Amino acid sequence: MNYFPDEVIEHVFDFVTSHKDRNAISLVCKSWYKIERYSRQRVFIGNCYATNPERLLRRFPCLKSLTLKGKPHFADFNLVPHEWGGFVQPWIEALARSRVGLEELRLKRMVVTDESLELLSRSFVNFKSLVLVSCEGFTTDGLASIAANCRHLRDLDLQENEIEDHRGQWLSCFPDTCTTLVTLNFACLEGETNLVALERLVARSPNLKSLKLNRAVPLDALARLMACAPQIVDLGVGSYENDPDSESYLKLKAAIKKCTSLRSLSGFLEAAPHCLSAFHPICHNLTSLNLSYAAEIHGSHLIKLIQHCKKLQRLWILDSIGDKGLEVVASTCKELQELRVFPSDLLGGGNTAVTEEGLVAISAGCPKLHSILYFCQQMTNAALVTVAKNCPNFIRFRLCILEPNKPDHVTSQPLDEGFGAIVKACKSLRRLSLSGLLTDQVFLYIGMYANQLEMLSIAFAGDTDKGMLYVLNGCKKMKKLEIRDSPFGDTALLADVSKYETMRSLWMSSCEVTLSGCKRLAEKAPWLNVEIINESDNNRMEQNGHEGRQKVDKLYLYRTVVGTRMDAPPFVWIL
Amino acid sequence: MAKEGLGLEITELRLGLPGDNYSESKKKKRVLSDMMTSSSVDTEDENGVVSSVEDNSSPVMKSQAVGWPPVCSYRRKKNNEELASKAIGYVKVSMDGLPYLRKVDLGSSNSYDNLATVLEDLFGCLGLGVANEGKKCEYIIIYEDKDRDWMLVGDVPWQMFKESCKRLRIVKRSDATGFGLS
Repeated sequence: MNYFPDEVIEHVFDFVTSHKDRNAISLVCKSWYKIERYSRQRVFIGNCYATNPERLLRRFPCLKSLTLKGKPHFADFNLVPHEWGGFVQPWIEALARSRVGLEELRLKRMVVTDESLELLSRSFVNFKSLVLVSCEGFTTDGLASIAANCRHLRDLDLQENEIEDHRGQWLSCFPDTCTTLVTLNFACLEGETNLVALERLVARSPNLKSLKLNRAVPLDALARLMACAPQIVDLGVGSYENDPDSESYLKLKAAIKKCTSLRSLSGFLEAAPHCLSAFHPICHNLTSLNLSYAAEIHGSHLIKLIQHCKKLQRLWILDSIGDKGLEVVASTCKELQELRVFPSDLLGGGNTAVTEEGLVAISAGCPKLHSILYFCQQMTNAALVTVAKNCPNFIRFRLCILEPNKPDHVTSQPLDEGFGAIVKACKSLRRLSLSGLLTDQVFLYIGMYANQLEMLSIAFAGDTDKGMLYVLNGCKKMKKLEIRDSPFGDTALLADVSKYETMRSLWMSSCEVTLSGCKRLAEKAPWLNVEIINESDNNRMEQNGHEGRQKVDKLYLYRTVVGTRMDAPPFVWIL
Repeated sequence: MAKEGLGLEITELRLGLPGDNYSESKKKKRVLSDMMTSSSVDTEDENGVVSSVEDNSSPVMKSQAVGWPPVCSYRRKKNNEELASKAIGYVKVSMDGLPYLRKVDLGSSNSYDNLATVLEDLFGCLGLGVANEGKKCEYIIIYEDKDRDWMLVGDVPWQMFKESCKRLRIVKRSDATGFGLS
């Protein structure tokens, strides 16, 4: 390869797209590092505090697409206070100053303000694609700037964000000349939507492939929208309430029949389930179905819909589907690759919705299954052993038994053997979430067998530091380890400090680590940011004479090349 | 997700466990009590009915673990909203010509007049009347009952209406044929 001119090598590199591969290429030699960095267009930063905008721009001056992730995963479950950090503003400011030709920005768990969005919309002439997932801090005014100023906007994809809805006219801020939209997802907006502006926008967007509506878009509007966008591939239905005899419903049925490219369906945020039959004619084309927000769709209407979906690859559903419903999925959806079953009742209603039987049925019926997220009431080791036998190809296995510490409900044993069977059989397992009653034994199995494991979530599990040590010593590819309410302490934390350089981050909350343990860690590893999040006790921790032995409520540590961050709030103490 | 057949106390949004498969919880008491913050819990609800969870604090405390079950906060919010409106009394109301739905708490109304006033406020529509009383208003209120039939609001006794009403609709008098109005 070194006998070729740089342009040829660069051309070859163009075919290498995955971040992992490009990172690997850049390590081969200085010459390749140089060629690679000038030709890199898409950069992924899994922890926005691991580096900073200046270093990013120095290394990749020709950057076109940036993906940034902010808060740790457990922030999703309210374990991280809102003001912790993850601000995108400094990144956008730096990118704007450098005049880099940014076209795409994808953010997850970051704080985004209207000011950031306005700056973004004005700074990059070719800006095309904005994807915000689980972000917060902005309002529909920020969306209005994006709509108004981004002349070539292709994607505006808002997924599960907390957006303050000013019920303004952001949709009408798209100029009449904007005809380039491919993705428009505003399902997470709460307020009323300007339907006229929406319909006109959709009508002038011939390339629109993905449209996800919020609950303020009623059925008659849906009918009109689908009629002028029959090329739609991915549809999120807003409100789906109507009289099945009405004219709107008839129009909708006719429009749906023409949507022969439709492959993905979601939404039904408010639904009259007896109207679902309108979608039956296109169900045989569907590869993705997300009804996890459609609490009103269950029972026979849901089953009938699923029975039409023979090509389904991805299904997100509520546990109200029940074990029987999952058996129907198992016998119908032979192409199923990913399944997520969410709890419909978070207050522990005790309605035994899905159990180990549903999981076993799915594993038996769907040979291509590789990713599962399953919230259930109960589990057994026997079931997990069967699942492992049926599906040795799991890449992601996340099981959440709703009641913490619940043992095998038949034998009353811990679930160590069941999860052990999973990690032993699934040699490609990259992500694992544990639940139920678990001892150190399960971690022994994980350390021994889970060679490809990159992300592990532990809650209410284990007996001693040995558990955590098995994982740290055994899982060579571990990137993200998050632990809550488990009895792991300083011994495990400090056993091998250099391990953390190979990982993106470690989260430990309500465990046994002490302040002095964390301080020792910070001393030994200056290339780590060791953050203590202690909302109430920060000051007390310092002054108290016995402070060393005091347990740390929340510990978040991550490798970084730029040292302590400057934007931490007072309750975050960076050692 | 509908909780048919359960008593009224189930609609109270307490952090309690009404289910009865928690006898194993006794074993886990010692583990959980370390983690939970509150120390004692009343096992009787307001109506003096002892909840089915016999042993003490741990089952209730489980639900109080922050961020458990691990459902993302966006989804959790949607779930809570859904549950809140499923509590007895909340029905959806739509008005012809308006592209959005509202929800009204029937449980907090005590009469048809009261309901009419609430709806007037909600939709900014004056003079909404019930049955034949609102002769002057161009809109009337109809409701969908348990059998999925659309009926005129006001024909049956209030309590009976409250129990059978699944949904409300405000329609133009001129569009509403078949309800026996002049």
